[in-house]
Order: sequence, then C-alpha cells, then structure tokens
Amino acid sequence: MLKTLVALTLALISTFAAAQANQSITMKVDGLVCAFCAQGIEKKLKGFAATDGVYVDLEHGLVAMGLKPAQDVPDAELTSTLTDAGYTVKAISRSVEPLAAIKQAHSK
Amino acid sequence: MKRFFALPAMAVLLFAGPPASAKPIAFQNGWTAMAEYGAGTMSEAQTYYAPKFWYSIGAGQLRIDAEDGRFSRDISYVRTNALLKRWNLPKAQANIFAFGGLGRATGSDFSGAETVGQAGLQADYETLRFYSSAKSEIHHATAFTHRIDTLQLGFAPYAHRYDGVATWIVAQGRTYTGGIYDGVEAALLLRLFAARSWGSVWFEAGPTLDGKLQAMTMFNF
Repeated sequence: MLKTLVALTLALISTFAAAQANQSITMKVDGLVCAFCAQGIEKKLKGFAATDGVYVDLEHGLVAMGLKPAQDVPDAELTSTLTDAGYTVKAISRSVEPLAAIKQAHSK
Repeated sequence: MKRFFALPAMAVLLFAGPPASAKPIAFQNGWTAMAEYGAGTMSEAQTYYAPKFWYSIGAGQLRIDAEDGRFSRDISYVRTNALLKRWNLPKAQANIFAFGGLGRATGSDFSGAETVGQAGLQADYETLRFYSSAKSEIHHATAFTHRIDTLQLGFAPYAHRYDGVATWIVAQGRTYTGGIYDGVEAALLLRLFAARSWGSVWFEAGPTLDGKLQAMTMFNF
C-alpha cells in the first residue's frame, strides 16, 4: 500500500514537473538596433539542438528562443554565442511560456 | 568653397562620436557581399568572410573615373577589416572599424600595373530611428594618391521590426582628392533592408545633386 502511494506521488510530481518545464529562454541584449546586423544571432541560436524557434524584438532589445521538450542551453553558452555575434547580454531568464506566447505578447 | 565647409563637418562627425554604414563585417562565420555604383565616379564590388565578429578578410574591385574624364583607374585588392571598438547600448550601437589592404592598379594616367596600398577608418552610430556614418579611405601608389571621404546621415520614418522591412531616408556627402571630383558629391538615398532566415538583403539608391545615380546593395549570409 505504501509502495503504491509513493509510486503514485512520484508519478504526480513527475507529471507536474513536466508540465512546468521551461519552454523558452528570454535574453535582454544591448546593441540590438538593426535587423540586418542581428541576423547572426538567429543563425547562431538555431545551431543549438535544443532550439525550437527564435524571436528577436529590436524595440525592446530582446531575444527569445523556444526550447524543445526537456532540453535547455546553459547560460554560459548563450552568453558566449551572443557575444560572438557581436552583442552584449544583460540578462537571461527562463519561462514556462512557449515562444509563440512571447512573440504574441511583444507583437502587440 | 563647398569643400571648405564639408570636410571639417565630416571630421567633426567622425571624431566627435559614432557613426554606421554598410558594415564590412557581418557576424562570426558570416559572408558579406557588397556592390556600389557611385554616380559614375566610383564603382566597387567587395566580398568578405568573417572568422570572428571583430574581423573579416576579403577582396574587392574598385573603379575610379575622374569627373572631367582626364583619367580612370582600376584597383583590385585584398583587404582586412577590423572592428576596433563597439559600444552596445540599450537603444543604440556604435562602432569604429579600421581596414587596410594591398592590390594592383592600372590606369589611363600611368603605364603598366602598380602596387597600391589602401587604409581607412569607418565609424558609425545608429538607433532604430537615427543613423550616422563616416568613412575615410586612402589609396596610395607610386603614380597616384587619392582619398575618398563619405558621410551619411539618416532617419527612419518608423522603427523597423526584425521580421519586417526597414526603410531609411539617407543623405550622403562624398568628397574625393587627387583630382577625381571637385566639391561635394551629395545624394539623397532611399534605403531598404530586411533579414530573412537565409540571409539579409540591403538596397539603397537615389539621385545625386548632379542628377546621377548613387546605388548600393549588400547581402549578409
């Protein structure tokens, strides 16, 4: 009985955790003023196996990338990638929001 | 007389701060291809590869035609571009580039082919709505020396989106030394550019005060 309860609890926790897994990464980036030049960012971020789409918002200096299920990219790699593209990363945050929701919120 | 005012103004804008034009470096592992038709006075095609975001290497071809038809020159060159300094600001970016190269020149005002050296500086400052760029380059060979200075100031009627098309109105002033052109060659340009998943495209064109065509196109991929 106890074993069943523990197994059930673990299954519930696992399901909850999966449902709450981060689906996107948002980066605040300085120097983001030209679509022509920022194209390198999109190319580089799409090079990660974990990437499921990239969104760039020039007006708010924001770069967001979608994450494939149960995947992530370390902050150090993200910072290095954007630095190599010629930009300065000011902040990185993760969200359970999918990329489409971030894009929609910033497209208004 | 026009040059008396134009060159100091260019110098002030160049050294007082930042300016941007077609940048000679795309991004790490990126290619840049540029072609310019400069009102019948100069025509240039260039292509560069950037191993890092702060330098690129490449080659180009420059054609110079003196305004009065006294001479023309063709210069083939290899060149390195370096980003000396970049300021990434919350709502702006500024850059200083330096470049130098070597090539071979032929011309109607000297015989044979000569080795030619080139060096230059480019500085830029841009936001989503304001743009400025100053560039100075010198070409030197035993038979000739000439310098080309270009200043651009632009504004955007709207802040472009990353997946949209950017529109800019740009005023350009250019001077030449070495008897190529007397005065300031001024032009008003319409600039359009867009980034797509396969690369970025840039096109600008407009008339000079002399009624000639000034045009430039660029691709990053």
